[in-house]
Amino acid sequence: MRDEEYDNDLEEELRWLAGRLEPVPPGLLRAAQDAFAWRDMDHELAELVSDSLLDADEATLVRSSQEQRLVSFRASRVSIDVEVTRSRDERSLLGQLTPPQPAVVEIRRRQGAVSVEADELGRFRSGPLQPGPASLRFRSAAAAAMPVVATDWFCL
Amino acid sequence: MVDQADIGRVVTEAADGDGDAWGVLVQRFSGLVWAVTRAHRLPSADAADVFQTTWLRLAEHIHRLDNPAAVGAWIATAARRECLQIIRASARVIPIPDMTRFDTTPSGDNTPEEAFLRSEREQQDKERAQALWNALERLPRRCHDLLRVLMASPPPSYAEVAAALDLPIGSIGPTRARCLQRVREELA
Repeated sequence: MRDEEYDNDLEEELRWLAGRLEPVPPGLLRAAQDAFAWRDMDHELAELVSDSLLDADEATLVRSSQEQRLVSFRASRVSIDVEVTRSRDERSLLGQLTPPQPAVVEIRRRQGAVSVEADELGRFRSGPLQPGPASLRFRSAAAAAMPVVATDWFCL
Repeated sequence: MVDQADIGRVVTEAADGDGDAWGVLVQRFSGLVWAVTRAHRLPSADAADVFQTTWLRLAEHIHRLDNPAAVGAWIATAARRECLQIIRASARVIPIPDMTRFDTTPSGDNTPEEAFLRSEREQQDKERAQALWNALERLPRRCHDLLRVLMASPPPSYAEVAAALDLPIGSIGPTRARCLQRVREELA
């Protein structure tokens, strides 16, 4: 056999092995299908524009940044900065809306949502949260001030 | 199996609200997302979080992709970034694969000779599988990560592999050949 055929056979054998030892869990396939139902055309997306864990190079990551992560999102008329604190199996959020304004903040999780309020200075915080995907949706207290905005899903 | 040229059309249909089209994307690319988490050696709970976050992100972005036909590379990049974020935020634990998945229970209606031969063959298969998996785990990181992504089912395109690992696409072919040769050397 030519080298290329040997390579293809070995790669196929490895692929088969991975399929036997570490297949995609069926529950996750269902979750991926269900993700489609989370699309919401009624809000503006605040895209993730920076993440302190990804934007720093390895040399500048220090211990404290492993516990404190700053994630920033931007929509057309508002930006949101979120500090994620991590301790073992818990997360918590401290957030800031800019320009500062009061709002209802819905912390969307796969297992349900938790609502908190942003004060008149646009500050909000969460209680303890489980790790996993999250998206924050904002409904301004003064309805005309900004459209409903939701952040990209990110992993707490 | 949907070919590459049709993926753009499937994405457009999903963006228009077609749940079946979304299902085609899930079938086509779930293996790739999972392979990216395996390449990064994430513990299963973290891998599940990365997997779900990636698909949720795609659901929000599906109607705003610059290049719908390249959604595979988009998905691979998203998964890679989530894996990196988790790795940088935490201490990694390397999971141990479960070789007992290769154990089979003998059926009751074979002759003792047949049962012996089959269990011999199963034992050889299991030893081969164990040796191959160990060889994979012992590879240098770059080869381990590349092969783990290539092992996704269905097989990813080189563009998707490049996005999954942040490597130049032209390097994939030669590196693959070198790494498969390393596996053979480890097995010898």
